[in-house]
Amino acid sequence: MKLLEVKNLHVSYDGIKAVKGIDLHLEKGEIVALIGANGAGKSTTLRAICGITPMHSGKILLEGMDIGKIPPHHLVKHGIALVPEGRGLFGRSSVEENLLMGAYSRRDREIKADLEKIYALFPRLAERRKQASGTLSGGEQQMVSLGRALMTKPRLLFLDEPSMGLAPIMVQKIFEIIRTVASGGVTLLLVEQNARIALSMSTRGYVMESGNIILSGASSMLLDNPQVKAAYLGQ
Amino acid sequence: MEIFLQQLVNGVVLGSIYALVALGYTLVYGIMGLINFAHGDVVMIGAMVTLTVARLLSNSGLPGPLIVLLGLLAAVPTCMATGYLIERIAYRPLRNAPRLAPLITAIGVSILLQNLAMMIWGREYLSFPQIIPSHAFSFFGASISTTQSIIVIGSGVMMVCLSFLVKKTKLGNAMRATSQNPEVATLMGVEVNTVISLTFILGSALAAIAGMMVSAYYGIAHYDMGFMLGLKAFTAAVLGGIGNIEGAVLGGLLLGIIESMGAGYLGTLTGGVMGSNYQDVFAFFVLILVLVLRPSGLLGERVGERP
Ligand SMILES: Nc1ncnc2c1ncn2[C@@H]1O[C@H](COP(=O)(O)OP(=O)(O)OP(=O)(O)O)[C@@H](O)[C@H]1O
Ligand SMILES: [Mg+2]
Repeated sequence: MKLLEVKNLHVSYDGIKAVKGIDLHLEKGEIVALIGANGAGKSTTLRAICGITPMHSGKILLEGMDIGKIPPHHLVKHGIALVPEGRGLFGRSSVEENLLMGAYSRRDREIKADLEKIYALFPRLAERRKQASGTLSGGEQQMVSLGRALMTKPRLLFLDEPSMGLAPIMVQKIFEIIRTVASGGVTLLLVEQNARIALSMSTRGYVMESGNIILSGASSMLLDNPQVKAAYLGQ
Repeated sequence: MEIFLQQLVNGVVLGSIYALVALGYTLVYGIMGLINFAHGDVVMIGAMVTLTVARLLSNSGLPGPLIVLLGLLAAVPTCMATGYLIERIAYRPLRNAPRLAPLITAIGVSILLQNLAMMIWGREYLSFPQIIPSHAFSFFGASISTTQSIIVIGSGVMMVCLSFLVKKTKLGNAMRATSQNPEVATLMGVEVNTVISLTFILGSALAAIAGMMVSAYYGIAHYDMGFMLGLKAFTAAVLGGIGNIEGAVLGGLLLGIIESMGAGYLGTLTGGVMGSNYQDVFAFFVLILVLVLRPSGLLGERVGERP
């Protein structure tokens, strides 16, 4: 069974259609890219799946279970996590408080151990655990946002432009970590403007344009697609 | 010197009450950026309920302090329910409206509560029955009554508990997360509506306690007493840095002391032109000064980013 299946999803803001009936799915363990220009509706799609923007119509199935009507604050217990666009940190709270908020819904005894794992993954954050997260550099903030999402113990992780505003070296670093996360068995849906990097690390991809999915398929195929090359790879 | 000490004592007592009320403003502002102008009227309801219970039981033969405690036991749930309903009915539908809408609604709610109180308790000043024995002890020449010390100690304990709740508990974590980014808090599993409801309920419980103190200590209650009290507590919250818990306490105490000192010395300083009846002027003078010189308040931090 597919881990996630989105069917005919429509989302509008005050009557203006942002997502116009898209279908997409994720198999367990996949890395899937969702690319598209500014305003294509990528973030809206993720927000609707995570329940923080209400959908107009459509179906969202998690292992066959309809999660479209589950209150959004319960989705984390089903293993859904989002690294939001712009990072969405609790800026006045410390790095550690942010990370621990990721474990807010957990009741198990592994929280302390998982926190140490995050610090092992991001040694920079360990040094700054008491620092207000809003005062960190962009790359460090992205690490906190990613670490916080991992603290929820997700099965399914949505990443909304993790490379945005980062220096190339930091982009490399973040994507290295994202690969590590994926190899740990977490299924990923990666939204990126940086189409080249997104397609090079994913198995499949979707291309979105003004609220519709206009192309989909194996990432290697999309990388060779003339339309994709012209519009998103600058060739 | 004796006047100074006495006014200092009175100021700390008054300031403790301001601080309790200011905490209600600051909690709600901290979590949703809303100035709940009806908060002072919730204090009024607390005062009225305590006073009503005290009047009903004043000839029952029960000891005075027990009667006041029973009054408080009635006032706290009444105020909590009032606070909950205010948020649920008046503010929640405006959660995503422009900032001005809830502000105007807050003023409307305040007027509504005052009129309700006038219908229930009338337009007269109601006096608190003489049921509290007054002992006083002397402190370097200033006299401190038992009631005064209970107010100061009681407020102090409430503030410590609140600070613990906000900083160290799960609800506190949820409150801080909600205040900074309600959407992301939701993604972490926080039920934002519940957290906001609980914040109003918490602030209203403090308001009930403050209302009890005001009516028992000053011996009087009136349907529009919440207006001035609320405005002063709001001033205290702004003085300390609105949204900041320690700030509300500091602002409350400072404002109480400033007012009390002002009332004590204004007559002498102005050669009798202005008397202690000008006490209220100080609060607003302070408010204007803060807004001009340091709008973020004494302990105010840079306003955190909002989505
Ligand atoms: N809160 C909102 N209110 C109204 N319109 C919105 C809102 N958020 C997004 N939109 C509109 O919906 C459309 C899709 O926006 P969305 O943010 O999903 O695009 P995106 O593909 O993520 O773009 P970007 O790459 O710039 O992040 C856009 O036309 C945008 O203007
Ligand atoms: Mg986007």
